[in-house]
Amino acid sequence: MILIGENIHILSNEVSEAIKQRNPLPLQDLAKKQAEAGADYIDLNVGPARKDPDVMRWLVETVQEVVDSPLSLDTLNPVAMEAGLAVCKKRPLINSASGREDSKRDMLPLAAKYNCDVIISVLTDKGIPSDAASRAEAIMETIAYANEIGIDNENIWVDPIMMPIGVDQPQVVELMEFMDMLPDIAPGAKSTLGLSNMSNGAPHHLRGILNRIELVILQRHGLYSAIVDSFDSEMVALMRGEKQADVDLIYRAMDEEINPADLPPHEAALVKTVNVLMGRVLYSHSWLEI
Amino acid sequence: MPLKDFLEASKGAIKEVTIGKEGKSATIGGEAVLPFHNFEGNLPRLPVMALEVWDTTPPETWPDHLRSHFGDVVNSPVLWAKKCLEVYKADLICLYLASAAEGEPDAPALAAKVKEIGDALPAPMIVYGTGEKDVDTLVLREVARACAGDGLLLGPVLKENHKEIAEAAQEYGHALIAQTPIDINLAKELNIKLSKFFPKERIVIDPLSSALGYGMDYSFSVMERIKQVAVLFGDDMMKMPIIANLGRECWRAREAKENDQQGILWEAITAMTMFLAGANLAVVGSPDSMKLVKKLLGQFSTGQIEV
Repeated sequence: MILIGENIHILSNEVSEAIKQRNPLPLQDLAKKQAEAGADYIDLNVGPARKDPDVMRWLVETVQEVVDSPLSLDTLNPVAMEAGLAVCKKRPLINSASGREDSKRDMLPLAAKYNCDVIISVLTDKGIPSDAASRAEAIMETIAYANEIGIDNENIWVDPIMMPIGVDQPQVVELMEFMDMLPDIAPGAKSTLGLSNMSNGAPHHLRGILNRIELVILQRHGLYSAIVDSFDSEMVALMRGEKQADVDLIYRAMDEEINPADLPPHEAALVKTVNVLMGRVLYSHSWLEI
Repeated sequence: MPLKDFLEASKGAIKEVTIGKEGKSATIGGEAVLPFHNFEGNLPRLPVMALEVWDTTPPETWPDHLRSHFGDVVNSPVLWAKKCLEVYKADLICLYLASAAEGEPDAPALAAKVKEIGDALPAPMIVYGTGEKDVDTLVLREVARACAGDGLLLGPVLKENHKEIAEAAQEYGHALIAQTPIDINLAKELNIKLSKFFPKERIVIDPLSSALGYGMDYSFSVMERIKQVAVLFGDDMMKMPIIANLGRECWRAREAKENDQQGILWEAITAMTMFLAGANLAVVGSPDSMKLVKKLLGQFSTGQIEV
């Protein structure tokens, strides 16, 4: 599992303040710590950067001074994106393009021009598709277009778009089906998604367990990569094969219904969470208490 | 292929909730099937309908065609309620504590009035507070105490005040309306919280009912999913019956106020739609729309549909 560290994000006050003041130290510190924690890519989210597209160039150079990791450049602004791509030392990842007309026109061609990897989401001008079949339809159209302008499937990371479980649990469940379809509809393409969005709105102290187990489930369904909280050390351990007993139990709970009442607390929590993420049990914030 | 292959297998039954006390009670729920699917399993009873009565004179904004059914009795909640039961044959009464929304309520006096109204009626009573959390905590706790043993269906209790009101309802033997804002996950969450100390058999879900043209489809989806989760998935925290408190929503609609026929249809269509979605109990304002929906329900039970 390729982990893309999400912690340099414009919505964080610390990050936003440092970017505004062009103060490199907090950002370099965050980049180093993420790399040390096990992030394969460092995501650089500068928001829309409308007034200041050059900020991406500055941020890329700042971060490259202290880490060797490849970077994921995260902005919807194609001018900022190109400013960053031009100075990347390692093959970067564009985060992200989509099937929206403006993205196809302004963002996707950058992947061809700089011969880099690109995340393409299932979003189109019609919005976010609502089930696995319409996700497949949307992404096939966008990938066909990307191929036409010279981007190979191997350079494409498909993002099926993760929804918060408290908003639309059935859509979270549908992603498993979508992942199963992906090798057929986009042979050779990779995949990724913003994992933390799934637990958005869930009680803060319980977001980790939701995120971690969902990642194990989707990994089993072929997910190649995820944009994650680099500092969730348990997740990194799970993904690095250091918690095989947990993975085994999660797989078993996926395959058969296990009664959590017969298990010790840690194992019971894993099973209850699998049941919610598989759509067997309706989500509520108190899912671990019943 | 045999017919049974097309039928849904039920994993759970909706709990039966009894409102009222011996001699005057009404029971809702109990079905082990999706709404009206009596061909798939046990459907012990059809949904019931309550007419709404205000504890104070209804506002000037009420359309004349709605007011005309009640005439002078709108000035007396007891007479108004009796007319709803005796003349219009409502199954039960829903008393809306509108007076509590007008400034600082005198909770003990209001509770005494509720007791007096309830005692005067031959049918059980639903009591709806204002929906404002602090006012309702104050008033509904007092009502619960004053009406001890009468088995009211009391609410709404919200995430923010469920504990305070439920403690009183528990102590004095009432059932509760658990209200959440058109969100199935939050509905389950509130049921879980209540169930920690309050009997599940005395909870009714209010997922909020919007009127036709004003978001009814959202209410429909939530109710439909609640019933699927309860009956088809057997989720214990979602097996409570559903109340659709839709009268006031409908009569706020411009289209309902515009003219008599339109108003009746607006409310009747909303009520019938909520029943189809899974409501076990609907609260309406107009005896005419109630009559129309009851006629449809009657035709369902006899199998003789006339248009």
